[in-house]
Amino acid sequence: FSGAGGGNDIQWCFSQVKGAVDDDVAEADIISTVEFNHSGELLATGDKGGRVVIFQQEQENKTQSHSRGEYNVYSTFQSHEPEFDYLKSLEIEEKINKIRWLPQKNAAQFLLSTNDKTIKLWKISERDKRPEGYNLKEEDGRYRDPTTVTTLRVPVFRPMDLMVEASPRRIFANAHTYHINSISINSDYETYLSADDLRINLWHLEITDRSFNIVDIKPANMEELTEVITAAEFHPNSCNTFVYSSSKGTIRLCDMRASALCDRHSKLFEEPEDPSNRSFFSEIISSISDVKFSHSGRYMMTRDYLSVKIWDLNMENRPVETYQVHEYLRSKLCSLYENDCIFDKFECCWNGSDRQVSFFSLIVMTGSYNNFFRMFDRNTKRDITLEASRENNKPRTVLKPRKVCASGKRKKDEISVDSLDFNKKILHTAWHPKENIIAVATTNNLYIFQDKMN
Amino acid sequence: MLGKGGKRKFDEHEDGLEGKVVSPTDGPSKVSYTLQRQTIFNISLMKLYNHRPLTEPSLQKTVLINNMLRRIQEELKQEGSLRPVFVTASQPADPLSDNFREAQPAFSHLASQPLLPTDFVSTTPLESCLTPASLLEDDTFCTSPTVQHDGPTKPPPPALQPVKDSFSSALDEIEELCPAPTSAEAVAAEATADDSKDHPSESNIQKPEGFPESRAADSKLMDSLPGNFEITTSTGFLTDLTLDDILFADIDTSMYDFDPCTSATGAASKMAPVSADELLKTLAPYSSQPVTPNQPFKMDLTELDHIMEVLVGS
Repeated sequence: FSGAGGGNDIQWCFSQVKGAVDDDVAEADIISTVEFNHSGELLATGDKGGRVVIFQQEQENKTQSHSRGEYNVYSTFQSHEPEFDYLKSLEIEEKINKIRWLPQKNAAQFLLSTNDKTIKLWKISERDKRPEGYNLKEEDGRYRDPTTVTTLRVPVFRPMDLMVEASPRRIFANAHTYHINSISINSDYETYLSADDLRINLWHLEITDRSFNIVDIKPANMEELTEVITAAEFHPNSCNTFVYSSSKGTIRLCDMRASALCDRHSKLFEEPEDPSNRSFFSEIISSISDVKFSHSGRYMMTRDYLSVKIWDLNMENRPVETYQVHEYLRSKLCSLYENDCIFDKFECCWNGSDRQVSFFSLIVMTGSYNNFFRMFDRNTKRDITLEASRENNKPRTVLKPRKVCASGKRKKDEISVDSLDFNKKILHTAWHPKENIIAVATTNNLYIFQDKMN
Repeated sequence: MLGKGGKRKFDEHEDGLEGKVVSPTDGPSKVSYTLQRQTIFNISLMKLYNHRPLTEPSLQKTVLINNMLRRIQEELKQEGSLRPVFVTASQPADPLSDNFREAQPAFSHLASQPLLPTDFVSTTPLESCLTPASLLEDDTFCTSPTVQHDGPTKPPPPALQPVKDSFSSALDEIEELCPAPTSAEAVAAEATADDSKDHPSESNIQKPEGFPESRAADSKLMDSLPGNFEITTSTGFLTDLTLDDILFADIDTSMYDFDPCTSATGAASKMAPVSADELLKTLAPYSSQPVTPNQPFKMDLTELDHIMEVLVGS
């Protein structure tokens, strides 16, 4: 790829892998979301068991110029617990669907994490000092008899082992009848939206008992329901603008200034169907699983089952670029429908946004099957397929590109479509905001790759 | 998932079903298109009705599957191959042929079905409708109170008479279609023949038809899509099962025998007398609660037994 720096291709090397080694995957360990914070120093993962694990990047060792800081566990906490909806006799999964970091305002870090029904604001703070020398308390906390106190002293803070505490500061509950699929923090850093299958709500970060419904696509007669909301995101710069995608492959851009209930979109992005590719599964594979604005806000990227599309916000009738992620699956859609893989929700992400590294949103990354993930360079139009695997992965060894052989004679080192493991899917990936470091989640492992530094 | 037996990832033999998009207008590939369409239809039904979630199933998935079913049914309808389907027990005295109902498991289009049983709605006992939990929802949109896999909700005993009428005439129809009902091959051969694409369509339709919709003319404070879009407790499920479901479920199975995808549903022999127990067993997958016969239900089963014997002539 051409990095913005000097036209060198990025060479990805294995850096670290987190998670259990054995093949037997515990259901609770399945990673369900991955997100870097705004500085890239912290990397959060959420899993099916409702836990959040935050990794922290080591401060760069100035003498060790050949690698960037490693990520180590910083904090682990149980964000959501399973609940039971007694009225419907159904469990509410504790699986963390999304994590979004707030920009840092003080010493503490804040993130929003959500399951199907409830969003929580977590404060992660460090404690590395504690007060000692109380007058009325012993060191172990026992109270002293005041009559034994003969002198007074001022308690002082003394260093202690670093303790990272996570505490829930806000719980935003009871606003979603359907399953929350997205949360997005507004550029005003005061409000955020949460989207479920049929509705989008607007919240203020300080107010938990009230949220405003800004999109409602629920039909009066539920039997007429043919389309659901699949993802939503605020514009990175315009605090009144957001988009939401649907299961029919459309994206709607809404302006909250237009009306309180944004049922009428300002723009509708939809590509006409290619008649030569029509099949029974056309609708299902057109369902958008993720939408992400570019850093400038001029473009947005959508992921459907087989492709990634880049849209110019000024052009509604078709995307400006389309990248095929795994077109070889098109002839296998019936099987994939049968085994439910066709409903897998792949996410996508842009390269980092730091202006020194890459001013423009140039590179797109998304996952596939067999623990493969793909990157597309918008400039060179080149793409690469890499694999997240513990085998053949030594630190600072450049990853070998992979190739899937769609049909015909399989070349050496190619993998045939029929050999792909559809249980090994990479749904969640994240790109460090400032450096060429990526986090790739397989089913229960988190891989960290970085640019080979010379 | 569905058993074709053995490894399922990518089956070379699937080329008949996979592979290029087959347009319905291609001559020789029309059969494979029909076969593919039917397979997908069956798979879709299985997905909707065999799913026993502890948690609510994904609404997106349900909507997409429903859309698939609806599309296929539209296609079948346009091809003119839909035969008049069985009237539900809730529409007594309607001769079969007058009652063309789109076989959509989850939808019923009020506008297009003037015969929709708004008449029997008033007899719908509240306790056999959807969970009152929805009443607590802020939304006051009300839609049909149907339960999943619902039949029209009404006291079972009165259903017997009309059921018998519609059922026997329906049975006659089937027998017309399948001169050798006890021969799986005959059924299969007919079903897959080009000129009898009626059969797959019909058999496909029967199954959803077995779960006819009931609509509430009065407003109920619930919004629940029949069976699929709103998960209801299954406490009301059994009481909502009508004989239609039982009877049609049985017939369906027989029609599906040639189809590998539905062999999982249990290969009941065609038209062979089945005991009420067997029927119950076939229904068990559709209920997420153990079958607990209640009084009216028990009564139905004995009468059902009787009917079956009479009809099948054993």
